[in-house]
Amino acid sequence: MKTAAKPAATRTLNLVQAVNEALDTALARDKRVMILGEDVGRNGGVFRATEGLWKKYGDDRVVDTPLAEIGIMGSAIGLAISGFRPVAEIQFDGFMPSIFDQAVCHLGRIRSRSRGKLSVPLVLRAPHGGLIHAPEHHSESPEAYFCHTPGITVIIPSTPYDAKGLLLAAIESPDPVVFFEPKRLYRSAIGEVPASAYTVEIGKARVVKEGKDITLLTWGAMTATCSAAAERLEKEDGASVDILDLRTLSPLDLEAVLGSVGKTGRCVIAHEAPNSGSWAAELSALIAERGLLRLLAPVARVGGWDIRMPLFRLEQYYVPDADRLVMAARKTLHF
Amino acid sequence: MPLKTVASIDIQRLEILDADGSVDKSLMPNVSDALLLEMYRLMFQIRAFDERAILLQRSGRLGTYPMITGQEATQCVPPLALRPTDWVVPTYRGGGVYFARGMQMRYGLLYWAGDDRGTRFPEGNHDMIFSIPVGTHLTQVAGLAWGQKLKGRGGAALTYCGDGTSSKGDLHEALTFAGQFKLPAIYIIENNGWAISVPRKRQAASRTLAQKAWGYGVRGLQVDGNDALAVYAATLEAVDRARKGGGPTLIECETYRMSHHTTADDATRYRDDEEVALWRKRDPISRFKKFLTKRKLWDDKKEKVLTAKTRSWIDAEVKAYEEFPAPNPLNMFSDNYAAAPWNLIEQRAELEEVLKFKGGAEVLMELPPSEGRFP
Repeated sequence: MKTAAKPAATRTLNLVQAVNEALDTALARDKRVMILGEDVGRNGGVFRATEGLWKKYGDDRVVDTPLAEIGIMGSAIGLAISGFRPVAEIQFDGFMPSIFDQAVCHLGRIRSRSRGKLSVPLVLRAPHGGLIHAPEHHSESPEAYFCHTPGITVIIPSTPYDAKGLLLAAIESPDPVVFFEPKRLYRSAIGEVPASAYTVEIGKARVVKEGKDITLLTWGAMTATCSAAAERLEKEDGASVDILDLRTLSPLDLEAVLGSVGKTGRCVIAHEAPNSGSWAAELSALIAERGLLRLLAPVARVGGWDIRMPLFRLEQYYVPDADRLVMAARKTLHF
Repeated sequence: MPLKTVASIDIQRLEILDADGSVDKSLMPNVSDALLLEMYRLMFQIRAFDERAILLQRSGRLGTYPMITGQEATQCVPPLALRPTDWVVPTYRGGGVYFARGMQMRYGLLYWAGDDRGTRFPEGNHDMIFSIPVGTHLTQVAGLAWGQKLKGRGGAALTYCGDGTSSKGDLHEALTFAGQFKLPAIYIIENNGWAISVPRKRQAASRTLAQKAWGYGVRGLQVDGNDALAVYAATLEAVDRARKGGGPTLIECETYRMSHHTTADDATRYRDDEEVALWRKRDPISRFKKFLTKRKLWDDKKEKVLTAKTRSWIDAEVKAYEEFPAPNPLNMFSDNYAAAPWNLIEQRAELEEVLKFKGGAEVLMELPPSEGRFP
């Protein structure tokens, strides 16, 4: 038997530290990489995702831009076309709608409009989701808009390990990536992260835990909520729960989805965005189209209500919690 | 053919009050003593309110809060040149504007405590809630001003944005419309020097922000934003012109954010104390107080009375704020549509089931009555 390679040193990091480390690694090894955004420089980002990078790499590579999201997005596209690898940050999910024109009409279309001559290898980072008692427009879940838009890869990690590996993969990706970071997990998700550079494959889901009675299909911070719900379902209902964290929303790991749902025959999709027209709706449609005969119960979607995210005093009643997942799972289990 | 100048711009700056409280009499607007005292009261009280709000946040009794301190003249004075039926849309750092419009500040606290019931303005006022995605209201204000023009009753619309927001395309489009349709709009750029950690000089290469107006055929001027008299004179002139059909004005008020961006920010990470100290000397309230004292309109005795009055006013507002019952979770379904569609009716009922699941069958009886219109 061959001696296994000595595992690289790992440290315990939280998710925002893992993001920071990925950015640091990318800036250090690739001169084409640059960071653009509001308050990303001297201040190190409002969540400290870019902490220390401005000092280390200077004003030309870690750029505090004017307060202009269209400017950030459009110039990042131009820089990417010119051969750079911009990592642009939109400070909050709720400020993303202002870049809609750039994202929908240009970001994912330039490769095809130039008949393959030009490409846009950029990463657009933004915090995602609610439940941190933030002000209005700071707790949104806009992933479906980007998943709906052709030509864009959409990623959302839920562990520090995945955050670093997927962000490095995103920066290497030849096409544009929207990279959401669940802000509820920035400091609460803690785990072992290798000090060395590594990538996590884009387009592959992660099995959080294996089970045989029901699948919880999820992404982002809801992964943690699903784990809490699964614990209760196993203890109180004796149900065996499979949890799949999609990690990449587009392109979907359809094989993993159909594999899990095919095994359990029951599926609850958990996410934070309003249910109607959500990415959960697409998943539900795909499962119905391709796995209908394996289903033992209708696919349930547990998401935000079809209203705007309320101010934070009521956000806990808007974003699904373990109670709502347990309720939906029981209905599905006893269909 | 020789080059010839086809247009040139001329940016003026208005200052009336100096650091010692002396005024330039040639520029002094015609203001009654009562109005001067009102300016002082508003600025004095909103600063004390700001200080209390920060204490509330620091002790866990309020959410993230954007401080006003340093910007009292720019915020409290322009509303005094308006009618209640003129539209006003401040920025999220706009407590002083709403206060000057007569808002009960318990609602301001309620909003920053994350309660949707906090957006309540005095009946009859044309006040609108600010936008958190900055600058997105600026084109809407062009529409509000347009409505005033079409109604033909001499109404106007006044709005604010920050120096950071002046970088966004929204201002460009708003001024394009305001200039093109000669709208009765007043755009105030509340240049407080900082957009979170990014200094004013990093926002635009132009010498002033006021000069942006000229590209759109809009009158623009710069004002000492810590000089209540200059802010008043400039606003009054702009409002008069707007009412008479003379079109829009952009006023850059140069002021300073004396504190952090919000309670979630730490300004010591990115700016020097010397700069803050410099601006402390230009404080809008102490300057104005010197002026009032010189005019024999103010003295220590009056200050003491105002201090005591302010304390009991704030105590009453904080008490009223803290006595609001917790909101009914079902409130979030109210007022989303004039008539709620089936999915909302279903989902509201589902939330009732969730609440029962959490708290037992009687929980719905124990909730405060739900507010707003549904279905």
